[in-house]
Parts: sequence; structure tokens; C-alpha cells
Amino acid sequence: MAKSQESFDLVDLKLKVSGRGDRLFFGFSSVAAYFAFSLVFLIVIFLGNASFSTFKTQGLAFFTGSTWDDAAGVYQIFPMLVGSVLCSILGLLISAPISIAIAYFIEFMAPPRLAKALTNIVDLLAALPSIVIAIWGAFVFAPVAAQWAQIINNKLGFIPGLQNTSGTFVGSPFIAGWILAIMMTPIITSVCREIIGSVDKDLVSAALALGGTRFSTMRRVVIPTARGGITGGILLGLGRGLGETIAVLYVLNLVFIVNFNILENYGGSVAPMIAAYYGESSEVGVSALLAAGVALFLITLFVNLIAQIFVGRYEKKMAS
Amino acid sequence: MTTETLRLVTPETPWRVRSKSQLVYIFIASTLPAALTFLIADQMKLAGLIALTIVFLPLQLLAASLAALITVGKRGILDAILTVSVLFLMLTMGFLLGSVALSLVQKGFKALSFHAIYQNSFYVTSVTSLEYGGLGHALVGTLVIVGIAVIFAVPIGIAVGVFLTETQSRMRGSVRFLSQAMTGLPSIVSGLFVFAFLYLTGWVQRSAILGSVALFLLMLPTIIRLSEEVLKLVPQELRYAALALGAPRHKAFFQVIFPAARSGIITTCLLGTARVIGETAPLIVLVTYLPSTNFNPLSGDMASMPTYIYSWLKFSTDLANQRAWGGALALMILVGVLFTLARFFGRKRF
Amino acid sequence: MESLNPISSNSFGADVHLSTKDVHVWFGQRHVLEGVNLEFPVNSVTALIGPSGCGKSTFIRTLNRMHELIPNAKLAGEVLLKGQNIYAVGVDPIQVRINIGMVFQKPNPFPTMTIRGNVLSGLRLSGKHSRNEDELVENSLQAASLWNEVKDRLDSPAGSLSGGQQQRLCIARALALAPDVLLMDEPCSALDPGSTIRIEETIRSISKNMTVVIVTHNMQQAQRVSEQTAFFLAEDNNPGYVVEAGLTNDIFHNPKDKRTEDYVSGRFG
Repeated sequence: MAKSQESFDLVDLKLKVSGRGDRLFFGFSSVAAYFAFSLVFLIVIFLGNASFSTFKTQGLAFFTGSTWDDAAGVYQIFPMLVGSVLCSILGLLISAPISIAIAYFIEFMAPPRLAKALTNIVDLLAALPSIVIAIWGAFVFAPVAAQWAQIINNKLGFIPGLQNTSGTFVGSPFIAGWILAIMMTPIITSVCREIIGSVDKDLVSAALALGGTRFSTMRRVVIPTARGGITGGILLGLGRGLGETIAVLYVLNLVFIVNFNILENYGGSVAPMIAAYYGESSEVGVSALLAAGVALFLITLFVNLIAQIFVGRYEKKMAS
Repeated sequence: MTTETLRLVTPETPWRVRSKSQLVYIFIASTLPAALTFLIADQMKLAGLIALTIVFLPLQLLAASLAALITVGKRGILDAILTVSVLFLMLTMGFLLGSVALSLVQKGFKALSFHAIYQNSFYVTSVTSLEYGGLGHALVGTLVIVGIAVIFAVPIGIAVGVFLTETQSRMRGSVRFLSQAMTGLPSIVSGLFVFAFLYLTGWVQRSAILGSVALFLLMLPTIIRLSEEVLKLVPQELRYAALALGAPRHKAFFQVIFPAARSGIITTCLLGTARVIGETAPLIVLVTYLPSTNFNPLSGDMASMPTYIYSWLKFSTDLANQRAWGGALALMILVGVLFTLARFFGRKRF
Repeated sequence: MESLNPISSNSFGADVHLSTKDVHVWFGQRHVLEGVNLEFPVNSVTALIGPSGCGKSTFIRTLNRMHELIPNAKLAGEVLLKGQNIYAVGVDPIQVRINIGMVFQKPNPFPTMTIRGNVLSGLRLSGKHSRNEDELVENSLQAASLWNEVKDRLDSPAGSLSGGQQQRLCIARALALAPDVLLMDEPCSALDPGSTIRIEETIRSISKNMTVVIVTHNMQQAQRVSEQTAFFLAEDNNPGYVVEAGLTNDIFHNPKDKRTEDYVSGRFG
């Protein structure tokens, strides 16, 4: 009884704001908080306003058409949207298993010291500048990956999606997918590591005491428990991939034709397209690029919000 | 009696002991696939990751499964496959990142010399010898652009962190949710927004400060999240102790809570900086590259490390290429130093 | 020497199928348990008592090879199940854990599985098969005295049960693998008195055809459920050891050692 009385007082103490200093202090922090809160809306309003004319003149064809002609004033980004999604999904197919494997290794297989070192390396990689990956991708990786693409095409070219009509293999969504995988892996890994690490150790012990093997414990207990959080982590990676600009710009041959053949020597992606066309566009063209930016922002925002909800829901479940 | 037994027994790990036949199987399973892969790849002229994927992986999975079947029994097979797959996937990423690191050092080393750190590139063309010119101007530009972003992002980010940890506002959930959704703001969109918000409206002329604002937006969510985490770590008792003494809340914060969280806050700043120092896309959109040094963020063009690399990549000469690699290596070293400092300060957490 | 090895098959009149020989335990360089010699006769309940930090929970984890999962864990000595050292080269730890089940301090049913799924989780995890799963579920839940409470909602999530029911579900889950021995690490410490009594009744009934080892810090519980008791003690950072072991009645009413007498009469601990 005495204890609960005491904590009541403490809560009151925490709520108390008195004096000019306090009002200034909390005033500043509230202003900062509302500023952070309103940024999303500011971005939508200003980008939307600056690109409104494009949406008005182009109409729905802006999203569904496949022509980009600055001289003729036609701006349509469908192939780029398709390409963004295609490259990001390719990136996820590569990076999600790798990330989950690294997270699993750190949490369940590595000795404590190695686990700590790997965690640090993953955190460092999250700060890997995309221009560094861009230069490596263009000069070192792309020629090698083009060889892989050629071999895959030789052996499996009869499968739809793996065809190539041009005979050259650089500039393909396949290569962009690998580059994106490198950019996505750190974020997916760090979320998955935290999620897998937060699975109740008692449950893992219980599974092992019931004769669980490493594999069956992971499959029956760890993965089902962590599923929501892992999904959130993968979605965060998807958001990262959709927004990646420079690294993709250097390895992907941007062409305004819808392409689902991942080994073909061209593809699309919204973010690098904006960077590539920005310098050489007319005033109207820049407005169209801003419109593409709005589309990109809304897509990534949507993906990220869903990801936040998944991760947040998982954390709440773990806390209870 | 007890001391006697204590001397006789030694700590052991009987679960790690393998019988001779087990050791033989493990040895074969871990060497034979690699050797076979080497032979087959040599015969069929397969290279690198291809050989690793289509020859080594299946062989290794088979060998490990067989070894597990013999030494452990049926239930060992899936474990062996899991272990091999995990290690293989890690190896793949290690291969790629190792290649990044190796290329950076190999190709960038030549262009990095002492004079390259302080000289600028004003008289340098794509065929100028590496003995002349450097990236000093880009280093200065990055320090100015990122520095301004940090000066604004850190206090504002921490203030939001204070809002999230020290107040009972009903808005906390929404602020946290939306500010974290901004973590995924594509860097190019940040650049476009600043372009539309400050430049198209005519409020700010084209200058380095535009780049600073874009980087500020990109680092703010990171600073908010990390500072909230750090402030949460300060023990509640410390807060209450200060408040119970009758200190106003802002004094309690600046004299008790903030000092207690200081090393964490420093880590936060360094990590936030490391994340944005290599951002390229917004700077390409907002700040025109200048081959000479400019200290003034409010007027004129300015170089930065990422745009320095970007500008050399436009040329196809070997020398320009080497300068770009040198810039990339320098940038990576910069990120590494910031990160190491962050870990150094981060170690002293409570 | 005699006091370290008091429970023999002769004195109790039953077969011994689990015993330890001079078991020592370390975590890294820290010696936490020394020279434990105990014998656990078939179909009996043995209580391990002692103040906290004396190594009894650590000891129970050495009996089904859960100890080795802790990084830095080390061990010396032998644990014999039906005469076979479970730490011998070539013994599969998973088979050991199937034969020697375990119930933990905190009820930890798998939250992602149904009640039925929890009972069958041991089969799924260890790769064992059962001819008739429905029968196995019913028998296991009956044995854990939970069947009547849950028979109509076998497909609801395990989290919907109360704490005491969850712990009995964990017992049923362990029993479904038909182990020879059941280890219980303070199974009632997180439960209310009513649930505790139910669990104790369950322990009494399953011990009719199973060897049970239970760690408890509740001395009344030890007297209520066990036939024999071992008293563990660790003094001033020295490794823990068994002070005295024997029939529960003797330990509580006629202890040979002064320290046992002090502990069971509540003078410390």
C-alpha cells in the first residue's frame, strides 16, 4: 500500500511543469516533436504542389503509360515503377535469406565474441555509402555478374523471365538486384537479429529439452514466434531498395520499356531515373520528376508504415 | 577431503569430444567437397560464385548430410543442411563485401597520398598526373555541409527524444510512428523536397545550405530513435531523485539526466553522421560540384566527398577513375573512423 | 565418504536407474558444484533442497545435458542412466533429452501453438512418431490432470490457460515423449497455492511409474511430495556440494549434520 502511494507521488512529480525555464524547455521539445510529426505532410504538400501541373496535364497515364519525352511534353513512368518493384523483389530474394542466416548465426551459432564482432560489422555496413557500392558495382561487380547472367541464360534461357534477346548482359535488373541486396542486407539483418534475439530464451530451452534439434527448434519455435517481426524487417529492406538511387544508377540501363526479363540488358527504377534525368530536363520536365518523387515517396512511406506496424506489433507482443 | 578432489578433477567439455571415426567423417565432409569443386571448376573452367553455387553447395550439402547421417543419425541431416546453408549464405555476402573492401584498397590506394588530403582539384583535368591535386576541397565541403546538418539535427532530434521520454503527451505515439516512418525516406526524395520547398519557392538561392537541409532531414529520424533509446536507459530513480530535491524539470534534465546519457548521445551523433556522410543523391540534385575550395555554405557551389567521386566517374580516363576510387576509399575510411569513435563512446554506457 | 553416497539401492529397496558419480560443474573458471554423488531409484521422487545459489538448478540441468548449452559450461564426472554414462562419446544428447524430460521454473508453453500442438510438440521437435496422436494427447493430459479442464478446447491457443494450467500443460508436453525420468526445476515457484497443490498431486501420481527429480526451495513441498531428499549448500563463494542426502523423513526429522538441521528448521536460507 505504501509503495503504490509513493509511485503515485512520483508520477505527479513527473507531470509537473513549473516556472519559465520548464515552460521554455518543454515548449522547445514540443515544437521539435510537432515539427518531426508534420514533416511527412510537409513533404507531400510541397512536392505535390510543385508537381501538381504534371498530374493535371498527364492524368492517370503518368502512372500507366510508358513514354518519357521531354521535348513532346509526355511524361509517363510505368516501366520505372515496374522496374523498381522487380529489382527490389530480386534484391529481397537474395538478401532476405542471407540476412536471416546472418541473424540466426549471430544469435544461435556464433560464440559470444564473434557474435559481437559480426553485429558491429552489420551496423557499420548500414552506413556503407551507396556511391561506394556504385563504383564497385560498375567497375568490379557488373562484368562478373554479366558472366553469371550469361551462364544462367545459356542453361535456363527457355524459362520465361530468364530470356535475353540483345546478347549483352550488362545493365540488367539481375545485376541491379544483387546491388540492392547488398544495400538491403544490413537493415534486414539488424532488425531480424533483434527480433530473433528477443524470442524468449525459455521457449528455446523448452524446445531443446523436448529433444528438439537445431533445425526443428528454429522451424517450430523460433520462426513461428518471430514471424511478424521478420516480415517487418523484410519490408523495411524493401523500402530501402525502392529508394536506392546512386548504386542502381550505375549498374542499370534505364529504358522506358516495360521489361520482366531479369537478364535483359535494360530495366527501370524510379529513384535512379530521377537522378539521371534531373540535370538535363526542362522546367516542365523537372516538375514531372518531382511528380515521380511524390509517387516514390508515397510508395516507400506505405511500405515503411506497414513495416513499422509489423515490428511494433511484435514488440508489443514480446513485452506482454 | 574436498580440497583433495578439487585437485584431482579438471574441468572438461565431454560434449565436444569426438570419437576417432567421427573425426574422420567430419574431416572428409569438410575437405572433400572443396577439393572436388576445385577439380571440377578447373576442368570446366567455372569461376567464382558460379562454381561455389552450382558445384560446391550441392556437394557440401550432400557430404554434410551423409556425415550427419552416419555420426548422429537421421535427425542430424536437417541440422547439417541448416548449418551448411547458413554458412554458405554468409560466405556469399562475405565474398561480395570482401571484394568491395579489396577493390577499394587496391584501386583507391594509389590516388591517396598526403598531398591529396589537403590540395584541391582546381587545375586538375582527367589526364592530370596523380602527383597533383587532391580532395581537400571535397573534405572541407563535406565537413561544412554535414556539419551544419548535424548542428541542427542533434538538438532538434534530442528535443524530440525528450518529448518522447520525459513528457506524458498523448501525441507521443503518433510522433514516434511518423518520425520513424521517415527513416525510410529515400534520399533522392529528400533532395527533391528541399528543391521544391526552399529553391523553387525562391526562399534560398542555390548553395550548399540546401544540401545541409536535405541531410538534416535524412539524419533526423536516426537521431530521434537513438536519443530516445539512450534517454530511456537513464535509470528512473536518478530522475526521481533529482525531481524529489525540488529541482525544476529542465534543470534536472541538464544537470542530471543529460550528463548521465552523455556518452550515449555522443554515439548517437556520430552514428547519425556516419549514416549521412556518404549520401550522394540529394547533393547531386541540390549542390553543384566545384573543383576548388569554398567555405561559405550560403553562396556559391561546393564540393563534397560523394560528389567528388561522382564528378570523376563522368570521365573515362584511367587517372580520373583512380581519383574516383581514391575518393571512395577516403570516404569509407571517414565512415569507419566515425563508426569506431561511436563504438568507443558507446562502450561506456551505464 | 559415506555421507556423500547415502541413497543406495539396498537402503531404499528399489532399482537405481539414474545416478551421478563425482559430478563437478564449472562456468568458465568458476567452480560451482563439486563431487555430487546421488542415486535416484526407479519410480520415486527425489527433492533437491538448499538455499538459492547452491547449484541445485545447475545440477539438475546436468542430468539431461541441458547444461552444455550454456557458453563456457564445463563438467567432470559421470551421469549414469541405466548404467550408461550419458556424457560418453557417441551418446546423442537429443536421445538423452527425450529419455529425461524437463519442466521449467516458469510455465513456458509455446505461444504459437494450440493446447494439442503443445502436447505433441515433443514429437514434432524430436522427429518421433506416434500411431495414435489423439490417444497420446488424451493420455498425456490425463496424466498431468489437465484433461477434464481442456478436453473441449484442445484447439485454442496455449496462452488462454491460467498459470497453473500452463504448467500442467508443460508437464503433459514432457510426458508425451514417455520419458524414464522427469526433472522439475522449481515447478511451483511462479504459481499460487491452489495450483501448487494440483501440481503436487500430479507429481505424486506420475511418480507411480516414473522417476522424478524436483528442485524446490519450499521445504513443506519437499516433505509432501518426495521419498528422499538431498540438501545442497554453497559457502562463501566456494562450490556447492551435497551436505546430506537420504530418506526425506530422516533429513527433516533426524538429520545427521548440524547444517542440515539448521536449514530444515529454518535457521538460515
